[in-house]
Amino acid sequence: MSGLVAKLKEPLRQRADLSDVLAGSWTTLSARELSDRPVYLERDGGVRLGDLFELDGHPQGRIRFVGQLDQADRLGAGLIEGEVIVEGGVGREAGLAQAGGRIDIGGDAGPRAGAAPLGFKRGMTGGELIVRGSAGAEAGAAMRRGLLVILHAAGDRAGLGMIAGTVVVFGSAGADAGLWSKRGSVVALGGITPPPTYSYACTFQPVHLRLLLTRLRDGYGLPVEPRHLNGLYRRYSGDMAELGKGEILAWTAK
Amino acid sequence: MKIRGVFIEDTFAEAFTMRVARIVITARSSRWARTAALKLTGFATSVIGCKVEAGIERELSLSETPDGRPGISVLLMTMSKDDLGKRLIERIGQTVLPCPTTACYDGLPDAPERVGVGSALRFFGDGFQSSKVVGGERFWRIPVMEGEFLIQEKFGMVKGVGGGNFLILARSADAALAAAEAAADSVASQSGVILPFPGGVVRSGSKVGARSSKTMIASTNDTFCPTLRAVTRTALPEGVNSVLEIVIDGTDAAAIVTAMKTGIDAACQDGVVAISAGNYGGKLGPHHFYLRKIMRGATE
Repeated sequence: MSGLVAKLKEPLRQRADLSDVLAGSWTTLSARELSDRPVYLERDGGVRLGDLFELDGHPQGRIRFVGQLDQADRLGAGLIEGEVIVEGGVGREAGLAQAGGRIDIGGDAGPRAGAAPLGFKRGMTGGELIVRGSAGAEAGAAMRRGLLVILHAAGDRAGLGMIAGTVVVFGSAGADAGLWSKRGSVVALGGITPPPTYSYACTFQPVHLRLLLTRLRDGYGLPVEPRHLNGLYRRYSGDMAELGKGEILAWTAK
Repeated sequence: MKIRGVFIEDTFAEAFTMRVARIVITARSSRWARTAALKLTGFATSVIGCKVEAGIERELSLSETPDGRPGISVLLMTMSKDDLGKRLIERIGQTVLPCPTTACYDGLPDAPERVGVGSALRFFGDGFQSSKVVGGERFWRIPVMEGEFLIQEKFGMVKGVGGGNFLILARSADAALAAAEAAADSVASQSGVILPFPGGVVRSGSKVGARSSKTMIASTNDTFCPTLRAVTRTALPEGVNSVLEIVIDGTDAAAIVTAMKTGIDAACQDGVVAISAGNYGGKLGPHHFYLRKIMRGATE
């Protein structure tokens, strides 16, 4: 695979904050230049990315992270460009306030993937964040735009306070998905119980979902099944405690 | 030059630069995709009277459409950029939007020039419309009684060529029609071209202006009318009793050349005396398609 490869030198023994590693422009940086970007360790403080990862390859708008990264937090935070591939799982707040580009996480993501930094109003404002495992609580919280896809289960409050954007959950969605959403869409292909502040509208076939799911299948190789493409979806409008212009689209066999 | 005994005249078709959009219509079934496409391309034979020229380009397989449903691609052409946007909005808004189960996508995603279509039609949603960005492109979801109408926000626009043509000069009306049908059929599914006239065939080829009126833009091409042979400066060889024209619009000159070559070859059959072409002496249109060059395999 072309692009840069960042291989973890040793297993992380403390939480590492990678929020500055891919923020802003990075796709033309060489391995050496990217090595100098700062990482903040929970106990030891600031280090260079190159102190923790061995970086190799040529910048071609893509970087692949290899190693056990469940203690690596905020990977891809503030991403505006390029493609970030993570071979395994990641820690908390992956893709925090992501604004563009793609993040493809091969395993689980911790809490608040694609969410807003605490104290800020906006989470993802663009780009695509794919979690091929499960995601922790409050994934996509305060999303303004963009796409978050969770292949397995989503923790509680996925899409909490979404302003807009789309969260797709292939597995089961935890409690209170879409709570306080203004205009966002939560697409539930597995089980979901809409919050009581959502109102059932109708059961129909949303064409835009066919478009989106076809693209996810063809572009990311996600296991979109014919029943997802051809099936019916129950539309719930909400959150009525907010604007009420958001929706939960829940796949239904009936 | 002769092809299967049919004389190819040493002349050229004169064509014009036009603005083109490709519209991809999908629907639950090919029946509804085609229904919408037929309405969208209705009354769109010539910019002279219809402000727009449009036609079905081809049917699309499920793997060729953005949403994996049956689809049809349509080319819509106008003389100016501004006109293209207006015509797309009014035609899609009045024909595709009302048609059950349809969605409407841009078929020229690489075209740098874009014209807002969904961005205008969204207002039909009266504030209930919403948008989604998929793959970097914005799509509008317009609530309708059936469910939702999905349309891409912007459509690509390229410079194309309108008015590629050839004339089939035949011994009889039956022979002319058979040859014209064969020509139209041979071009029917070719990518990048449309035949905007009924069935792809024109019986009322025109000349610029009129003898009898200063206000008419076009009038009958009397030099090719068999019934006027004795009273006009005829262009018809002896034995010709009927003439039909195939008019071809395309996304570029190369597509026109390919279509003309295919069509002329198909038209060279029994009962056809000669193949000619319509032009204005080369003074009006920048694209000149020389019949003999095309049939020898050369380009425009």
